Amino acid sequence: MNAAALIQLAISAGAVAAMVGLAAFATRGRRAPPLDEATARRWLADEFPGVTIDRLWIGADGCGALARSGEAALVLSRMGDGYFARKIAWTAAAHAPVKDGRLSLPLAEFAAPRAVLALKAWPPKDGAA
Amino acid sequence: MKIPTDPVTLATPLFILTVIGEIVLARFGKVKAHYETRDTATSLTMGLFSTLSGLPFAGVSFAGAMWLYHHRLFNIPMTAAWAWVLVFFAEDLTYYLFHRWSHERRIWWAAHVNHHSSQHYNLSTALRQTWTGGVAGTWALWLPLSFLGFPPAMVAIEKGISLVYQYWIHTEAIGRMPRWFEAVFNTPSHHRVHHARNPCYLDSNYAGILIIWDRMFGTFQPELDDEAPRYGLVHNLGAFNPLRVAFHEWVAIGADLIRQPQHALGWLFGPPGWSPDGSRDTSASLKAAWAACQAQAEREAA
Repeated sequence: MNAAALIQLAISAGAVAAMVGLAAFATRGRRAPPLDEATARRWLADEFPGVTIDRLWIGADGCGALARSGEAALVLSRMGDGYFARKIAWTAAAHAPVKDGRLSLPLAEFAAPRAVLALKAWPPKDGAA
Repeated sequence: MKIPTDPVTLATPLFILTVIGEIVLARFGKVKAHYETRDTATSLTMGLFSTLSGLPFAGVSFAGAMWLYHHRLFNIPMTAAWAWVLVFFAEDLTYYLFHRWSHERRIWWAAHVNHHSSQHYNLSTALRQTWTGGVAGTWALWLPLSFLGFPPAMVAIEKGISLVYQYWIHTEAIGRMPRWFEAVFNTPSHHRVHHARNPCYLDSNYAGILIIWDRMFGTFQPELDDEAPRYGLVHNLGAFNPLRVAFHEWVAIGADLIRQPQHALGWLFGPPGWSPDGSRDTSASLKAAWAACQAQAEREAA
C-alpha cells in the first residue's frame, strides 16, 4: 500500500469518526421507549407468526422479554433501537444462569451469542419452569 | 498528480456529504431518516474496510479479465459511444444475476448478508459493504464481458458507475419518483422492498440500475402502501461487532458442514435457510406461510 492510499484511508477513517459522532449528537436523548407487554407481543407476533404465547415476562429495564410457548422459549432482546429474537428450548431458558439480577440466555450463535434480560426472579416459582 | 478514474473513489466526498446532510436534515425533521449511533458506526466501518478486503482479489480478477480479453471474441472500442451503451446493459444484466444468486445460494449469501444486516435504511446502509466478496468468487461473473471483447478497464468503470448509482437509493427520504422513472430504473421505493424482511417482500428487486430485469424475470415487487417495510434479516443479528456482521454466515456454514458433511452441497448451494430435514425457514417457506395466513384471514373476513 503506497503513501497516497494510506493518506486516503486515514482521511476516510477520520470522516467515519466524524459521521458517527454527528449521528450520536443528532440522536442524543432519543432513546427507544421501554418495552411493554403490548409491544413485546406485537414484536413476537411478527417474529414468530402463528405461535401461541403461554406466558410472558418483561425485563425490568424494558430492554427485552421472554415468552414461553409450549416447550420453546421465545427471546426478544434490545438491539440498538430495535430488537432481535430467537427461539430456544424452554429447558435451556429455565436453567440459564442469573447473575446480579440479569438472566444470561445462551443462544449458541456467532451472530447472536447470548441475550441478557433483567429478570431477577428466575426461574419462576409458579410452576412455569 | 494522477486523477482517479474509479467512480467510487471520485464519489466518496459525495457519500460523506450526503450522509452528513441526511443526518442533519433528519435531526430537524426535514426528511424521513432514522439513524442509530452503533448501527451507523457498523455500517461505515464495514464500508471503510471493504475497500481493503477487496484488494487481494482485485489483482486476481483483473488478471483473469486481461487474460480473457487477450482471447476475446470481438474488438469493442472503448472510445465508441455504442460500446458504452452496450456495456451499460451487459454490466447491469450481469449485476442482476450476481445479486440474485447472492440471495438465492447460501455460499454467496454469506458474502452479501452483511449488507442487509442493518435494521435501518439510510444512506449509511449503502456503505455496509462485504468483506468476503473476493473469497466468494462472484467477481468471476463479470469475466465473460472481457471475453466478449469489452476492455477490462471499461467493465471496471461501468461496475463503479453502477455501485455509485445504487448509493442514492438507500434512503427513506425519497418517497416515489415519477412513474416513468419507477417503471425503468431502480429507485428508493424499489430498493426499500429489496431490503425489507416482510415475507411478501423477500427475494425481490435485485436490480442494479434498471428495474426492467426484475420485471422481465418475474422478481419485481412494488412497495405496498399498506405494508411498510421492516428492515434487516429474517433472524436479525444480536451484535454490532463488524467481525460478527462480516463472518457470521460463514461461521454458520462451517458449523453445518462439520455437523453434517454428507449434506455439503445443500449447505453450500441450497437457498439460505435450507436444511436436510426442512426444519429451518427459507424465503419460499416464509412466503408460503405468509400467503396461507393471508388467505385464511380473507376467508374469515368473507
